[in-house]
Amino acid sequence: MGSEERVSQKSKGKGQKGRLRGRPVAMTVVLALGWLVSIDARQESQFAVGRDLAKESAAAHKLAEERTPIPRMANGKPNLSGSWRLSGGGATYSWEEHLGGFGIASEGPTLIIDPADGKLPYQPWALEERERRRRPESAYEENVAKCILPGMPRMMVYNFFIAQSSDRVTIFHGTHPATRIIRFDNRPPLPDNIRLWMGDPRGRWDGDTLVVETTNLNGKGWANLGGDIISDAAHIVERFRMINASTMWWEATVTDPKVYTRPWTMRFPAPHVKLGTQPEENELDFEDSCHEGNVDLKHLKNLYDAAQGSRQ
Amino acid sequence: MIPRFSAIGAVAAALVLAMVSAGSLVALEAPNEALQARQAPQKFVPPRTADGQPDLQGIWRVWNLARYDVEPHPASYGVPAGLGVIVDPPDGRIPYKPWALERKKENFAKSRITFPYDPLKNADPLAKCYIPGVPRITYLGWPFEIVQSKDFVAIVYEWMHIRRMIPLTNRAVPEGIDFWGGLSRGRWDGNSLVVKVTNLSDWTWFDMAGNFHSNAAQVEERYTLSTPDTIDYEVTITDPDVFRRPWKMRMAIQRQRDARLLEYECHELLGQSGVPPTWERDWDKPLVIPKE
Repeated sequence: MGSEERVSQKSKGKGQKGRLRGRPVAMTVVLALGWLVSIDARQESQFAVGRDLAKESAAAHKLAEERTPIPRMANGKPNLSGSWRLSGGGATYSWEEHLGGFGIASEGPTLIIDPADGKLPYQPWALEERERRRRPESAYEENVAKCILPGMPRMMVYNFFIAQSSDRVTIFHGTHPATRIIRFDNRPPLPDNIRLWMGDPRGRWDGDTLVVETTNLNGKGWANLGGDIISDAAHIVERFRMINASTMWWEATVTDPKVYTRPWTMRFPAPHVKLGTQPEENELDFEDSCHEGNVDLKHLKNLYDAAQGSRQ
Repeated sequence: MIPRFSAIGAVAAALVLAMVSAGSLVALEAPNEALQARQAPQKFVPPRTADGQPDLQGIWRVWNLARYDVEPHPASYGVPAGLGVIVDPPDGRIPYKPWALERKKENFAKSRITFPYDPLKNADPLAKCYIPGVPRITYLGWPFEIVQSKDFVAIVYEWMHIRRMIPLTNRAVPEGIDFWGGLSRGRWDGNSLVVKVTNLSDWTWFDMAGNFHSNAAQVEERYTLSTPDTIDYEVTITDPDVFRRPWKMRMAIQRQRDARLLEYECHELLGQSGVPPTWERDWDKPLVIPKE
């Protein structure tokens, strides 16, 4: 996933190369321009070392076998605080199994554990829409290319830091930073007309598992660079379950009757690994100036505009 | 009336109207925040977090006119007149060096809202949704939430989901790298959170009136809970390239008990208003400091 992540990192503010895989020569002009632009050193360094997904996955599974006690809060609930890094999955292009290649650069295993075939259970119209989104001229429609929030559950394919207290869990997301402050106070849901990229998250404990339910999504975001679809009808249930002191399973079940024939569940091939207790371990103390440096978006818009023109 | 509405102009007019109505509300609520803050009782004993630190957590917002102009200013279209928030120097004015005062006046002239409105011709970095920097993000008027942990204080702003991670651990700052929002380092001084902000750039302003600084600026903020629902906010600006001496602003930050932190993706909304974020970026022209 390392190199795929890297493509995504560069593309942030430099044009979305991830989606341009295998496209005609004209695309290489865009790509070449992207390569010439200097890259944010911090973002590059995060993913510069190529990751061996199988090795990383094996290491995380091994770590999960250690019999270390789960840290707990004074109220007895698991304490999820710390820097967490995902393991073994390449997920910025697609959540289904995919090969690497031009613009994607790294293969990735499927994250879909239900249905068992590892494929998203699309309704026919939605699958067609996804194919439309994979055309190069559609790249301009994608939100992260414009430095707009990735949305949910897409934000969970990046690393994060958790700060927990008795009445809330705060998730500080990395890479395209947003912050989710998740309370357990059973507050009333947001009015239906308030729609958010990150949605309205509400927390509860199911035994030792933190359950976060998200609604009020705006349905505008792409779920990844490969154009997977999450509509405004989506209801996301995330489960965070610590295995021992340094590993945690995360999974999300998405129910979205506008787009899919049935609910589906995603999970990384290996547990998340705790790096430590400081936000800096996930490089969280730097700002994100994506929009300010977004100099390549105009190329994507030119492609988009040209395609619009040729259709008229 | 506004002649010849262009598409952008129409959007801008709506924007200005929204600002006007929001502004009048502000004018009613905050005759002089700085004065109120000064008179606040200092003996308030703040609640503590589980880690024993003064508890500043919650959703907060500044209701004053500093976002228009931190100095005393007369009214202009869409901008209520205000007394300013500068408590030092006593005249309430920023102690600019002569060249810098000229520059400020140029900034002011280049950031007036005139019709038809084109945000790309407005010199205010905020017109293009660029990161406002510190301290401007504090009094921009959007809510923010403070989250504390033993080793850091996080300030999460609704505006463009900006956040500041403020380590309390004496973490070193790199030299020679500028950030829009600088780098923040915090410590507790009694009941006050003191945040030193370095590594600032010369790309940000203090307000909509063109008040500015260079990348030599250093900002020191003090957050002190003065009532259960008020933070006394003091901020000292030091910038020997631009100012004759350090100067200080002071204002109240008010708790928003019934608020929720939502989203304001500024550049997305600008795009919806007809200005897609594809313009040539030109913010990095360095500020030229004249030799003395």
